[in-house]
Amino acid sequence: MQKFAISTVVLALAAALSGCQDKGPQKEFVSIEKNPYPSTYKPVSNKSVLITDATVLTGTGERLDSADVYIVDGKIQQVGQDLAVQADTTVNAAGKWVTPGIIDVHSHLGAYPSPSVESHQDGNEMISPNTAEVWVEHSVWPQDPGFNRAREGGITTLQILPGSANLFGGRAVTLKNVPAHTMQAMKFPDAPYGLKMACGENPKRVYGRKGVAPYTRMGNMAGYRQAWIEAAEYKAAWEQYEAAYKAGLNPTAPERDIKYDTLRGVLDGEILIHNHCYKAEEMAMMIDLSKEFGYHAGTFHHGIEAYKVADLLAENGNCAALWPDWWGFKMEAYDMVQENVAIVDAVKNSCAVVHSDSDTTIQRLNQEAAKIMYTANQNGFNLTEEHAIKWITYNAAKSLGVADKTGSLEAGKQADVVIWDKNPFSVYSKAQEVYVDGAKVYDRNDEKYQAVSDFMLGQR
Amino acid sequence: MKKFNLSLVTGALLASSAALAQVTAITNATVHTMTDKGVIKDATVLIEDGKIIAINPSSVSADVTIDAQDKILTPGFIGSMNQMGLVEVGAVSRSNDSYDKKASAMFDASTAFNPRSSLIPYARKGGLTQNVVVPRGGESIFSGLSFVTDLSGGFESVTATETALIVRVGAKSSGSRAVSLKQLVDKLEGQQKKLAKKDKKDDKKGEPSKEELVLTKVLKGELPVITKVSRASDILELLKVKKQFGLNLVLWNAEDAALVKEQISESKTPVILSAVSNLPSDFDSLHASLETAGELEKAGVKVLLAVGSDSSHNVYQLRFDAGIAVANGMSHDGALKAVTSNIADVFGLDAGKVAKGQRADLVLWSADPFEFSTSIESMWINGAKVNTNDSRHDKLRDRYNTPSDMPRAYTK
Repeated sequence: MQKFAISTVVLALAAALSGCQDKGPQKEFVSIEKNPYPSTYKPVSNKSVLITDATVLTGTGERLDSADVYIVDGKIQQVGQDLAVQADTTVNAAGKWVTPGIIDVHSHLGAYPSPSVESHQDGNEMISPNTAEVWVEHSVWPQDPGFNRAREGGITTLQILPGSANLFGGRAVTLKNVPAHTMQAMKFPDAPYGLKMACGENPKRVYGRKGVAPYTRMGNMAGYRQAWIEAAEYKAAWEQYEAAYKAGLNPTAPERDIKYDTLRGVLDGEILIHNHCYKAEEMAMMIDLSKEFGYHAGTFHHGIEAYKVADLLAENGNCAALWPDWWGFKMEAYDMVQENVAIVDAVKNSCAVVHSDSDTTIQRLNQEAAKIMYTANQNGFNLTEEHAIKWITYNAAKSLGVADKTGSLEAGKQADVVIWDKNPFSVYSKAQEVYVDGAKVYDRNDEKYQAVSDFMLGQR
Repeated sequence: MKKFNLSLVTGALLASSAALAQVTAITNATVHTMTDKGVIKDATVLIEDGKIIAINPSSVSADVTIDAQDKILTPGFIGSMNQMGLVEVGAVSRSNDSYDKKASAMFDASTAFNPRSSLIPYARKGGLTQNVVVPRGGESIFSGLSFVTDLSGGFESVTATETALIVRVGAKSSGSRAVSLKQLVDKLEGQQKKLAKKDKKDDKKGEPSKEELVLTKVLKGELPVITKVSRASDILELLKVKKQFGLNLVLWNAEDAALVKEQISESKTPVILSAVSNLPSDFDSLHASLETAGELEKAGVKVLLAVGSDSSHNVYQLRFDAGIAVANGMSHDGALKAVTSNIADVFGLDAGKVAKGQRADLVLWSADPFEFSTSIESMWINGAKVNTNDSRHDKLRDRYNTPSDMPRAYTK
């Protein structure tokens, strides 16, 4: 991009002439605010809760029968049998199942909300193949009724992504699934940002049709590479500025560009890649691309062919966020196998995730995982509920960079918890109670805890 | 509706094969008949020449006996409202024959049906043995005529054509829904007048056009009219049209149907819906709910379940949708009917029931057909045992899940 070519030149000149600039008092240091739309989320309550006598899937691969979960100050305090503790509220969960709050790493709720009318198409900034400058949080409509439906299905954390029209679609945001009327009040505190990238058919279709690059898959690759070269220049320019300033000189700050702020965040390891990428050969190239420019390729979403490169994904520490069975809507979705998640998962150090990309299946990710588990078991696998639940809890948290905060029922973690009426791997199962940070946010049997969005209120 | 006598065709083709003469006995089955006989335990079902020839006969003499070990035997499930066999890959236009700009009431896409489509063996994995294909139409309010296929994958899979007329009314992205509804009424009135004139004059001059023939069948109540509408007021308008012309009306989608369930029930109008649709996709479906199927059932409405989004590729999920309907208030038996006999009744199919003389489309399940943990033990289509593990998907899984020193391409 020309702008950077110029700013690099300017910088080189500035460096050459630095003798002139370092005299006199330093101008104010120009720093980039990394969190200009900070979370205002506060847990609803901090009462202690004891859930007793349940079948507990911890999210770490363990299953505890007749076990208790003790929540204090919004955190998991203890999980085990016959806990000798007192709580403000005790929930008898005999015969019920308890899991960590379910996490969907791929949602467009709020950005493509219901009703999906013309005025609500806020998920894809389809004007340029690189729109790393947009942040999907600025599109999120917190009144999307889909958030409530998802909570009723046990979703406590979800990542909202921009769409996949562009090579770089923009920043993704991780939300706590609590009812709120501002986006900030849902924002997961201290969760890293994501950057949505897209491989394959979508970018080349959207732009090729307009007669601009990318027109082909090789055009896609050229687009990513060019952008990373520019991002590296931008990063170097700012680092040079910062170093010069620190050295007591009086440099001029580079021109700010929010597109490259985001790409620089990836190169600095602060922003995680979430890459819409279906095909085996493309995932392999995206991994090499990340090595070429020195960042981590992150999570591959919709990797229909992830099972073909399961080894490669595990070796490189890439999560794969997958559907159980969507396929056939385009060529890159043709080679689906129902055991995709199980095959990816079977490799050592893998990170298999089940995602929805849907306002419907987000309401039953537990059942999406169940489909995979049972189909795989009918074809030679030996998967258990305590293992498969990781696909929608712990592994999902890992993909989002929040596994130190949520995703499992371990002491010290945020008390995001779901109580199910029966085995959540049954088609008949339903979430009974949902807790976020120890606060009850949904109760199937108590209308008081059933949120209604502004949009639905009073509709006849 | 046009039906094909398949067993005659198949019989001629396979005359040299002994398979057809064989009698298969399925013994010790828990048979969900989907008839007034209900569930029959420890039952024996005899199949010969593609038909069920007896249930619990006094004596059994069979060439092949399958011990069901008390497991559940149901009619094969019936998919509907999708384009299976008309589309291979959604975004590949040359593999898509479900839409045509010029489509009209006469649009019968059955000749474009591809029984070799990879979607078909995959759909069998969901326990489906037949499927109602509906065209996506074109610019007209009439999307065309539905047809029915079995899922054998054979070249003679089409079992019936012209089983229903699909009409598009309700919300429009441009223009008024009032105009669409009026177009429908005008067409029906026009044809009614023509028929009345003809009766009077006994006018034999001029052959009726194909559209006139279709509309005549509609007016006689012989051809079901399926309308995709969601809003309660639209449903009521259509019930008026049904009454005015004596239509065999079927409501499809009908997300807000629970608001007018008494009227729907009273008018004996069946409803086809997706069990998982519970979000207001627009202002027509503000009351979409997981409980709609159960509520309609309790109101006495004949409910048919169809898979909602991309149902051509995902119709295998039908049994799970039925389970979700049960979890949200539908009876288990009602949900089973909603994926078998109710569909057969509405489209007039020889399917969806286990009874003497019926086509032998059967599935033997390891347990409750709606559960994820349940698998298909055996499937019969038109009396022939078929494989439910031979899709492209199965082959790809096996290729990449089988250790080999050679490149994967050599694993076949």
